[in-house]
Amino acid sequence: MKRHGIVFGFGLVVALLIGWVAFPRALYVQRQQPLDFFHKTHAEKSGLSQCDSCHALGSDGQYSGIPRTEVCAGCHTEKVGTSEDEALLVDNYVKQSKEPQWLVYSQEPANVWFSHAIHTRRAGLACAECHGNYGESDQQKVYEVNRISGYSRDIWGHSISRLRRAPHDGMKMTDCEGCHRRHHVETGCLGCHQ
Amino acid sequence: MKVSRRDLLLGTAGVTVGMVFTPVPWKLLGDVSVWTQNWPWVPQPQRGPVTVKQGLCTLCASGCPMRLCMAGGWPVGISGVKSNPLTKGALCSLGFAAHQLNWHPARLREVRHRGRVANWQEAQAALEKACSEGPVVVVDGRPGRAVSTVLQEFAEKHDVAYRVALSPGEKAFAPYADWTGIPSSSFGYDLENARTIVSFGTPLLEDWGIPGRFARVWSEKAAGKDDPELRLIQIDAKLSHTAACAWRWVAIREGSDAALAGAVARILVEDNLVPARVAIPVTMLEDAAAQTGLAVEAIRQLAHVLLEKKPTLVIARDGNPEIAALNVLLGRVGEPGGVVQRGGAGRAEVPLEENPSKYRAIVLDASVPWEFMPRTNAEVFRFAAWDGGGNTADWLLPSPGFLEEFTDVPTAPTAARENYGIAINLVPQPEGTRTSGQLLATIDSSLPTVEKTITLRCEQIFHSKHGAVYGDTVQAVAQMESAKKLEEQLRSGAIWVGDVPRTTSLHCRLKEWPAPTRIEPASDWAVEWPAPVLPPLAGKLYQESNLREAPERSRA
Amino acid sequence: MSARYGMVIDLDRCTGCGACMIACAAENNVPPLPAKATARTGITPMMVRKLSNGKDGAERREAFIPIACMHCERETPCVAVCPQQAVELDKETGIVMQMPQRCLGCRYCMTACPYHARYFNWWDPQWPAGMEKSLNPGVSVRMRGVVEKCNLCHARLHSSMEKAAAAGKKEIDPADYVPACVEACPTGAILFGNLADERDPVSVAARGRDTFRLLERIETEPKIHYKTTRSWIRAAADRQGHGPTEAQNG
Repeated sequence: MKRHGIVFGFGLVVALLIGWVAFPRALYVQRQQPLDFFHKTHAEKSGLSQCDSCHALGSDGQYSGIPRTEVCAGCHTEKVGTSEDEALLVDNYVKQSKEPQWLVYSQEPANVWFSHAIHTRRAGLACAECHGNYGESDQQKVYEVNRISGYSRDIWGHSISRLRRAPHDGMKMTDCEGCHRRHHVETGCLGCHQ
Repeated sequence: MKVSRRDLLLGTAGVTVGMVFTPVPWKLLGDVSVWTQNWPWVPQPQRGPVTVKQGLCTLCASGCPMRLCMAGGWPVGISGVKSNPLTKGALCSLGFAAHQLNWHPARLREVRHRGRVANWQEAQAALEKACSEGPVVVVDGRPGRAVSTVLQEFAEKHDVAYRVALSPGEKAFAPYADWTGIPSSSFGYDLENARTIVSFGTPLLEDWGIPGRFARVWSEKAAGKDDPELRLIQIDAKLSHTAACAWRWVAIREGSDAALAGAVARILVEDNLVPARVAIPVTMLEDAAAQTGLAVEAIRQLAHVLLEKKPTLVIARDGNPEIAALNVLLGRVGEPGGVVQRGGAGRAEVPLEENPSKYRAIVLDASVPWEFMPRTNAEVFRFAAWDGGGNTADWLLPSPGFLEEFTDVPTAPTAARENYGIAINLVPQPEGTRTSGQLLATIDSSLPTVEKTITLRCEQIFHSKHGAVYGDTVQAVAQMESAKKLEEQLRSGAIWVGDVPRTTSLHCRLKEWPAPTRIEPASDWAVEWPAPVLPPLAGKLYQESNLREAPERSRA
Repeated sequence: MSARYGMVIDLDRCTGCGACMIACAAENNVPPLPAKATARTGITPMMVRKLSNGKDGAERREAFIPIACMHCERETPCVAVCPQQAVELDKETGIVMQMPQRCLGCRYCMTACPYHARYFNWWDPQWPAGMEKSLNPGVSVRMRGVVEKCNLCHARLHSSMEKAAAAGKKEIDPADYVPACVEACPTGAILFGNLADERDPVSVAARGRDTFRLLERIETEPKIHYKTTRSWIRAAADRQGHGPTEAQNG
């Protein structure tokens, strides 16, 4: 009987190891961004210290998201630095008027409607509340994508169990609902979906 | 130690129980369900900033201004421009899906010669050969544009004929040209000032003319009123949408419109309801009663009702002179609320001969309706952006499609006032497409360009000091700074509208009642649609609902 | 914002042109369906039907009635029956919001809807190659097997909300929120606005003498009103789709 217990326990441990260690590693795969971009460098060197220097809200409320090449071309019509990535930007994108195919960390499904205008202007939320202090980072965040669903790891959050995570780690519907509940903001389905 | 079957089973049980306490089943459940909702064949809209631009639709000669939402360089939404005085923000029903046309499966993207894929060099060589071998004719379906000038110049320089293909609605003005000596392209209808409109089968409320124009006039003055300011009398063999909305529907048998017009004319003259004196045979009345199925008394009543609320305007569906003659009898030619002469020089236009077999080659511009197929052995060069099917042309030459052509929009055919607009191509003209003007320019590089011709026209308008430019604001031409400024405004979607039409009585007299002519059968709404193919969403109107009759010919 | 968006459709002004149907389909990314789709299996969130006075020949009269979701205010039938809570009456706008993403396709709501204003995606939405570039980014594309209906052009409501937020305002500018059908109508037959605001023109028109609603007797309190001076239309309207007054084609 004891042997049966050991075998059973062995299976249990194997499952736990696979589930908690191997599975998270296998589920996500890293992808390369088209260019390496460091926020800290830009904040320090070119006085673009505010998020909305580049990630701007238009007068009609449309949000620029990741800025288009035109915004980069505001300073980078020619190479102003020495990095390889900047050379890539100028040669392959600015001079050819193409957009880099950025992998968006916070990409939500097409049926989600999130309005930056409403959250930043009306609700007065700071960018860091949902995106963390990414603007101060001197490295580019690694982009990991869920092999099955196709969405970025940032949506579920880095912790596979969703326990002990940073407040801004995770952008699932439950995270939105939680914040709405705490702030007593009721919305119907069409308030967040399209 | 031997591993027994029991060990395996226990181990598996352990794994299974353990898995429940890991994220695997729960995360997989969620992720797989997301995966099932993202099939790769379900298309996704673009995610991009949406910018709003204003442009002019060039699918038909009305040139309605459109407000276009653009994303990723393509239109993703269309609406009208409310401030426009001609359309008041309306478009034709199918126009709201026009932005899908460029991807229609029947889009023509390569040169075709009798079914096989060819190229522009071959087509050009064939056309040049044809020009050297015999008489060639270029047919323009929308005369008066800048590209029409290019075609005319080519025709003059190279001894090629230039002819036009007019729509039935445009042909409706031909009788007045015969009777006044003024070119038919100078005439329009003063719908806004008429108080009774008698339409002989013309689908006035069904995307006719400038679609929004009459719809608004009728909505303001006639809809829902028992005693409306504008009486719409629809003479129609079937209960069309226009007939259903009209103040009176006069149901007649198919093809008897002209007979009825003659009978009404007879009564107008006989009962001294009009000052004009024209000899109209008295048998007209019985003839008409027999053909239309109406009683003679009913026809008499109709004639009297026509004059209860003046001015009365008669609108024919096509160039039938008997119906047009009614307007002359009623004294409505050159009068407010009637058939008016617009400002500006008219164009002398010669329609293509009935029998064009004397030509060695016929070049049909993309503006010529798809159904226009001359019966001839001539080599036919057909420009089109879509292959509507069933065409017997020898050469199919791909033209730029919706919003892809830089062109201009001269006066809309039924308008009461002159107008002009510039339709810039909000979408780059695709490689491999050419307009007829562009092909002829490669044959003869000395021809004027469309851009230059348009600039010249803007200068002409500026120097005329007439009219106003309707953009975000209204600005009189007399107060504009320069022709360049005027052109800039037009290029950003504004339109120029000329002064009110001349309403001095034109010398228009009928010597005798016109001889009976054959009535062209009414075409269905799908044939009236100007492009060779219907937008894919058109099926909503006849296939996925019972609103309209299904098109006779498959025009999908 | 606590609005009750609704419409008053003037049937004396409707010419049956179908511009509203096309504009609605274009705005909401409704696919053109395969050749085997019919009036029963098609997707027409806005559908214009023909009414007639039942007579023939020269005595016949026809009229047109645009039918879309009525956004029933009271005991909304589809909301009551949905097992997935995929549809809800929004407290803030009065829109009966259909969430195709939550729908499991049981079609119970289609049976429950007294106005036949709900449509099922019998086929995968397909557009000819490249045509997806013309899709409206503000509206997500549905998949096969879910029900959809008019949502009063939520994409336009969203852009008006964003515009107001960017300008620092709490309430939207009514001129910014105009559904596609309202904008497309060439005769201006459709009046749209906030029924909860007494001064709004739609509210005033809704209280007019000639204004009525379909199937008033079942007390669903629809927010789409109709207006006509012709009594035969009023009588025929309730039977549209159910009786001899439904005018068929041809």
